[in-house]
Formats: sequence, structure tokens, C-alpha cells
Amino acid sequence: MTKLAIAIDLHRCIGCNTCALACKMQNNVPDGMLWNRVLTENCDIYDGAEGIYPNLTRTYLPLACQHCENAACQRVCPTGATYKDDKGRIEIDYDKCIGCRMCMAACPYNARVFNWNEPVRSTGFNYGDARVPVRHKGVMEKCTLCKERTDAGEEPRCVQCCPTDARIFGDLDDPNSEISVAIREHGGYVLLEEKGTKPQVHYFES
Amino acid sequence: MSKAKIAYGVLGVVTLIGIATWIYQLMGGLGVTGMNNSNSWGLYIICFMFMVGLSAGGLIVASSASVFHVTEYKKVALPAVILSTVCICMAGMFVLIDLGGIQRVWRIITGPNPASPLFWDICIITCYLIINIVYLYFMTSKKPGAQDKVAIVSRFALPVAILVHSVTAWIFGLQIAKEGWYSAIMAPIFVASAMDSGLAMLLIALAALRRAGVFEVEQKLFSSLAGLLATCIAVDAYFIGCEVLTMAYPGAEGAQTLALMTSGPTAPFFWFEIVCGLAIPFCILVFSRNRQKTGLVLFASALVVLGVFCKRCWLLLTSFFEPNISGANGITLGTQAAQQSGANIWTLTGTYAPTWPEIVIVIAVFALGVLAFMVMCSKLLPKR
Repeated sequence: MTKLAIAIDLHRCIGCNTCALACKMQNNVPDGMLWNRVLTENCDIYDGAEGIYPNLTRTYLPLACQHCENAACQRVCPTGATYKDDKGRIEIDYDKCIGCRMCMAACPYNARVFNWNEPVRSTGFNYGDARVPVRHKGVMEKCTLCKERTDAGEEPRCVQCCPTDARIFGDLDDPNSEISVAIREHGGYVLLEEKGTKPQVHYFES
Repeated sequence: MSKAKIAYGVLGVVTLIGIATWIYQLMGGLGVTGMNNSNSWGLYIICFMFMVGLSAGGLIVASSASVFHVTEYKKVALPAVILSTVCICMAGMFVLIDLGGIQRVWRIITGPNPASPLFWDICIITCYLIINIVYLYFMTSKKPGAQDKVAIVSRFALPVAILVHSVTAWIFGLQIAKEGWYSAIMAPIFVASAMDSGLAMLLIALAALRRAGVFEVEQKLFSSLAGLLATCIAVDAYFIGCEVLTMAYPGAEGAQTLALMTSGPTAPFFWFEIVCGLAIPFCILVFSRNRQKTGLVLFASALVVLGVFCKRCWLLLTSFFEPNISGANGITLGTQAAQQSGANIWTLTGTYAPTWPEIVIVIAVFALGVLAFMVMCSKLLPKR
């Protein structure tokens, strides 16, 4: 079995948002939404800080679909449009999506975005990888773990573009893969573990 | 008679305006509503829960009459089932209106996911509608033996009526993502609120039919149903009390969600439900003297129905307010406004306000429901 995933080194993340924009470009994500976003933790403004001067800290949390092993979104989808593929990724079959947004309510990570109307792009044309299917109004979308790239043996765009090399892509089922080793050695953890969704995206601090 | 014709005309026009608005929504997408990525269900789903409740409540009363041989309640069984049929059709309409890709809805039949509560709900609602229609058929049938068949159908109708609202509750109650929804008592609360709002709606409908001179209800029966309503309100309040205490006691995450309900953006709905939807109607109806007065019973019933509507609002919206993983800039809205302005694509908390197309469509569905109820009553109820 293959269980593709990403591990993110929060110690290396500088909150530059390159991953968010690289993802948007690669996947033709319309205006007004992102598949991959970077949060400034415990702040109400971006690049804010926690604590009282001079004891300040600032941490960034890049957040996209967690490709959960026990995915709440997949369980509730009435048509099976959301599915777990043979490489362990959570994918959406846009032709099957009826736009009920049950998955959106079920996702604990707010990872999904919906095409509320016909997608608008400020460029006026579809950008991104030509292999990525164009979505229309009324369907759900989210991080595919760059399905088109990873199918061809390439890394996801966010992993490739991260300037501080904070992201590791690989197979969790291979104990010797770079990602498995990093999670093991640095004590990798997952978000909202208590929800029991078993995310495959891991976080660690090197 | 002419009055009825005017009413038909007005309701028909409102329905047509609603259909036009729905076409506008189909063309523009759900972007014409107030929903967005932070709060992905709104007024339509609120109305869906509300109408399923109104429907189930009416049928539970009607079928209990046959199942438990409560002879006096059998007299109102026919209007109760008519009301139930109309309400469940309205509920189904709200689900369909809420779909972003209605042209692909057949996918549920060709490739259903049996694990999805939404799939269960579609099955049970279809089943429930069929039972309602069969029930109506036998109740109005003049053939010999039809009454025995009513008794048989009622034995199926009662459990299905309870299930239809339980399954609706499970759409929410099984979602571990939402602190305010994930609760075992969600289904019992939904059934209890269906009983009180459905019964209250039945009382309002019976009074309207009596006023219109279409259907006569004895005052004694009316008061007796009002007494049953008081009991249902008490049960509903008890369940809500259990839920609120369980949320509050550990002082942990549940208490935060509760704080949003009691003093957050959904607080007006919460307090209206507690005070006007439960406390006041119960205090009115608990005294048998008050139950003799049609005006007071109707006032209490209207409060119960409005209270349960408010309950649907706080139940749905509170859980969208605080994302599980917070942090700036929050969630991308994905709305038309966010796309056009470029700025303001972010929100830290769930945000939602219904827009005019949503409100017009909802009013039109209600108008169509009243229209259908009037037509069905004039055709099916025995002429005096």
C-alpha cells in the first residue's frame, strides 16, 4: 500500500505564503479562495504575535486538506464523489459532486472550498497546470496533493516551491522514506488528533 | 368563496416570484445566497429541519391515534396527515433548492454512498412521503375495509415519522467536526421539537380550518390536544436542559460553544427559544382554564412554532462560528463579493446573513405550502 502525505517543519516555516500561491497557480484555484493557506497561530491579524512585549512568539501553521486516513468528509458524501484513492489521497470526482456541502460541514479542518458561483479569475483565463481539470460552479474542491504531479512522480507544487525546504513529501507506509524518518525523529504530530480522523499530513519542529 | 380565490391568487403569484428567483439562483449559483466557505449551510437547511419537524409532529399525533386506539384523536387524523404531506414536500424542496449541482442529483441513485446520513435522509423522506400518500388514500377511500388498512398503515407511519426526524438529526449529530452538533441526544431533541412544533402547527391549522368553516373541531378535543402540546414542550425543554448541562459542566470546549449560544451572535435565537418558545407557552398551557380559550392556545402555539424555528437557527449557525483551527487570516470566503473586490476574502469566524433571493425563495416555498394545504383540504376533507 501507498499512503502519500506531507510533513511540515514548523521550525523552518517563515510564513512567506509561497506554498499557498504556488498551489493556487498550479491548481487554477479561482479568486476569493485558497486550497492551501498559512495561519498565524493564536492571532487575529496576519504576522501578529503572541504574548506581551518583550516575551513575544510568532508561529505559522500552513493548513490544507489533511488527507485523513479516517476521513469524515468521505464518510458523509452521499454520492461517493469524495473518495480515498489507491495512493492514500482524498480526491473529489467533480462529475459526481452534487454540491450538498455535507463534506464541508464534516471537515474539522475547514480545508474545503466551494464554487459558490461560476469561478472568477482576475487573469481572465485559466492558469496553472493543463492536466488539472477545470471546475465549474456548484462543486467542492480542495488540495488534491497535486494528484496530476504526484501521479507522474513529481512532488506537489507547495513542496517543490517552499524556499526554506520546510515540506517533505513521501509515503508514510515506507518506514525508510524521508517523511517517515522525519516524523519519527522529530516527534511529528497531527492536528486535532482527538477527533480521530487520523490525518496523514504531519507537523514537526526540527 | 371569493376570499379563498383571492388567497389562491396571491399565494400563486408569490410562488411564481419564488420560482423566478430560484431560476436566478440556478443561473448565478449559490453565490447569490449569503452562504460562504466559513458558514456553508444557511436559511434553506434551517427551513429544511424546521419543515421535517412540522411534518413528523403532525403524523406522530395522527398515527398514535390509530396505533394506541385514541378514538377522539382519530377525528383530526385526516387534516394532520394532509399537513404532514405538505410539510414533507416543502422540506424536500428546501434540500433540492440548497444543492449547488442539482443537475447531477441523479448520482445519489446511481452511485449512493450507504454511509452518508444525507443518503439515509433521502431514502427515509421518500419512504415517509409514500406512507403519507397511502395513508391519505385509505383515509379518504369509501371502499369497505379501508379503515382497517388505515390501522395497518399507521403502524408503519409512526416509526417512520420518528425515524425521519432522527435521521435529519443525524446529519448534524454524527459530525465530530462540530462541537455543538456532535451529541447523542440530538435525535431525541429533534423528535421532541418535532412533536411540539408539529402539534402546535396542527392546532393552528385546525383553528384556521374551523374559522374557514371547512372542518369542525370540538372545543374539548382542541383543549385536549393543547394539553398534549404542554407535555411535549416539557419533554423538549427537558432534553435541551440535559444537553446544555452536559455542555456547561466540564467548563471545557462545550462551555465555549454554550457561551456563543447564550451571549454570542446566535444568542437572540437561543433566548427566544428558551423564553418565548418553551417557558411562556408551557406556563400558558399548563393551566386547563387557559386551554379552553382558543385565542390563548393559538398564541402559545404560534410561540412554540416560532421558538422551534429559532432553535433551528442557533443549532445550525452556532457550530459554524468558531473554526476548530483558528488563526489569522482565517478562512477564505469564496463568495462573489470576495472574488470581485479582491480584498476581504478572509474571515476569522463564521459569518452569514441571508440575502434577498434566499428570503424570497423561502417565502415562496411557504406560500406554495399554504396553497397546497388549502387545495388539499378543500378536495379531501368531508363536505359539511
